[in-house]
Amino acid sequence: MWLKILKNLISRKEAIRFYKSKTQTLKTLTDENPGSQIDVERSADQAPSHEEQNTLFSGKEKMNRVFGKSLKIRQVDSGSCNACEWECTALTNPIYDIQRFGIDFVASPRHADVLLVTGPVSRQMELALKKTHLAMPRPKIVIACGDCAIDGGIFRGSYAVKDGVSNAIPVNFQIPGCPPSPTVITEKLLKLMERI
Amino acid sequence: MPENEEYKEVGKSEFRSYCIALCLSKKAVLRLMFATDERETDNCFKIYAVFSEQGTDIFHIPFFKLREDDLTFRSITDGIPAAHWYEREIMDMFGLVPKYHPDPRRLVFHDSFPADSHPLRKDWEISEKDLKEWGEGMVRKVPYDFLEVEGEGVYEIPVGPVHAGIIEPGHFRISAVGETILYLETRMFYTHKGIEKHFEGMSFHEGVKLAERVSGTSTFSHSTAYCMAVERMAGITITEKAKAIRTFLLELERLYNHIGDIGFLCAGTGLTVGNATGSKIKERLLRLNDRLTKSRFLRGINTIGGVTKDIFLHADDISLTIDTVAKEYKGLMKLLLGSVSHIERLENAGILSKNRALKLGVTGIAAKASGIDDDIRSSHPHLIYNKIFEPATFTRQEGDVFARMMARAEETKCSMHMIKTIIEGQHEGDLQVKADDIPPNSHALGYTETPRGSVFYWVKSDGEGRPLRVKLRSPSFCNWPSVPFAIQGNIVPDLPLCNKSFNLSYSGCNM
Repeated sequence: MWLKILKNLISRKEAIRFYKSKTQTLKTLTDENPGSQIDVERSADQAPSHEEQNTLFSGKEKMNRVFGKSLKIRQVDSGSCNACEWECTALTNPIYDIQRFGIDFVASPRHADVLLVTGPVSRQMELALKKTHLAMPRPKIVIACGDCAIDGGIFRGSYAVKDGVSNAIPVNFQIPGCPPSPTVITEKLLKLMERI
Repeated sequence: MPENEEYKEVGKSEFRSYCIALCLSKKAVLRLMFATDERETDNCFKIYAVFSEQGTDIFHIPFFKLREDDLTFRSITDGIPAAHWYEREIMDMFGLVPKYHPDPRRLVFHDSFPADSHPLRKDWEISEKDLKEWGEGMVRKVPYDFLEVEGEGVYEIPVGPVHAGIIEPGHFRISAVGETILYLETRMFYTHKGIEKHFEGMSFHEGVKLAERVSGTSTFSHSTAYCMAVERMAGITITEKAKAIRTFLLELERLYNHIGDIGFLCAGTGLTVGNATGSKIKERLLRLNDRLTKSRFLRGINTIGGVTKDIFLHADDISLTIDTVAKEYKGLMKLLLGSVSHIERLENAGILSKNRALKLGVTGIAAKASGIDDDIRSSHPHLIYNKIFEPATFTRQEGDVFARMMARAEETKCSMHMIKTIIEGQHEGDLQVKADDIPPNSHALGYTETPRGSVFYWVKSDGEGRPLRVKLRSPSFCNWPSVPFAIQGNIVPDLPLCNKSFNLSYSGCNM
């Protein structure tokens, strides 16, 4: 049948009917297996509950379905001291070479699967962070990288910070350390991708 | 009070003429200017200006009092342009208004921060509603007017605060005609974390941790300057061994920063192999840091009264690694200086003239590349620099990106030499001395040279020996205002290159 369509041997109407029948069977297949589908329709403003956060992206199959074997990261500094940024930069050097795992940093949030946020979220940066988060296509993962991104760290309690990324946008994953070394970041990212 | 600080109270009306006379007669340079809220003890605000005299190890610190009935003072920016950002900062943080300031816009706070709210005043309070609106940024309470360039064919490129690469946030507005930049306006302080206020809520000993996290790649210089300020205030003399370890780690920090920066410049010209080699050598040094101190950024070493680890136990490891680094670094420089396409991009790009650099009070690498011999290690010797540091002769006159790269290269050589000298020497004494008593109502200055330039801390204790005011000035704070001048007249694609050649910290500047 496919060959016939390709060689224009059957009429257009027939071809469309064939397509429709195929897509319908595909749909029924996924309906029987609702568990394998990821919740892609979640609104950005609806924060998932804690339990949901843990189950949202679990399972190697789901990760592979959604992202294949690659992960594109958009890094945003929300007021860190710049140490975490240098460790992220170090990930792309010839020693760590994180690209060999299919992980890379991208320039635009529109190309990103993951938003990696460093810093305790300074209030003057909060709006820019939220806008970056909104600009990302769904499904999106948010990683809080570094101690101050997790709970404010040493800056906790200052008037100008929000005490952690989770107070501004929903967080799915945390990487502790001040700053976390490139080895730790690589390990955590691979764990997130269910590769190790 | 430390010997090389000369405080002098002058009248409010004479302050400006006194400062200008100091600059003219003694060729003094403005290092730092700040205010304190001393209404509880002296019933007034005070404004201090720290000048360092060239050729002698003396800081002139004139100050004046401001009573609450008149919270304005005569701006000194028209006579000393280096005071430009300091006065705007004082205006934002204390509400003391510099009269006749040429640019009286806000500096630190953005539009949605409430007017008449000044965090560093002791009686400052802010409502939850104001804080929430500040974060949301939707209500513009004090609008900020960007300067616009008008004319036929002039267009504006807004960039940031979220940039394309893995860097810190800042907003730039580039006004250009064709490819040529006419004017660059910077809007900083996105990463303002209220560090100076946060210091006041901690004890002096806890503050070391915070000082380490002001600027990531200058961790050790910041904590050294902070510890030095507190030690000078408390009259603590640290041992020769602690001094040697601090000096050693300062130079190690300089080494990994400079080599990393030289390599990073290649990212701006597309010379990937240079960038990769530079980051490889930097990684080698960061791993050495990790082995020596259990921290890749030298955190947790400094403490008030000395250091916590004896890194000279690893002397063999250090000399072996430094030898390897020296060899690899030589190869990197040979590669870079042999790449005509790379060097041609650097030469004549981002020129900062000596005259402008002097007026703006530029420090560190940027000053050295513009022909100013500004190095606090030789002008105000501290730690063991008076024994091992040979006064800098590596200033360059061009003031362009290439000159800044070569100034880094010269400093790298100098640092490697010093590291070897320190390891070969004998250093006696304990790691720490006892430092529990912080005297009440005293103050002192701490300073050192970071990889980017000089850093200053000024600390003052209250009646109970807790911090009343901690003022910090990172080199990036006084170098950022010079970047727009260096970029003027360059083409748009050279902007990242010029920016990288200064390699300023946003976090250190925004505090």
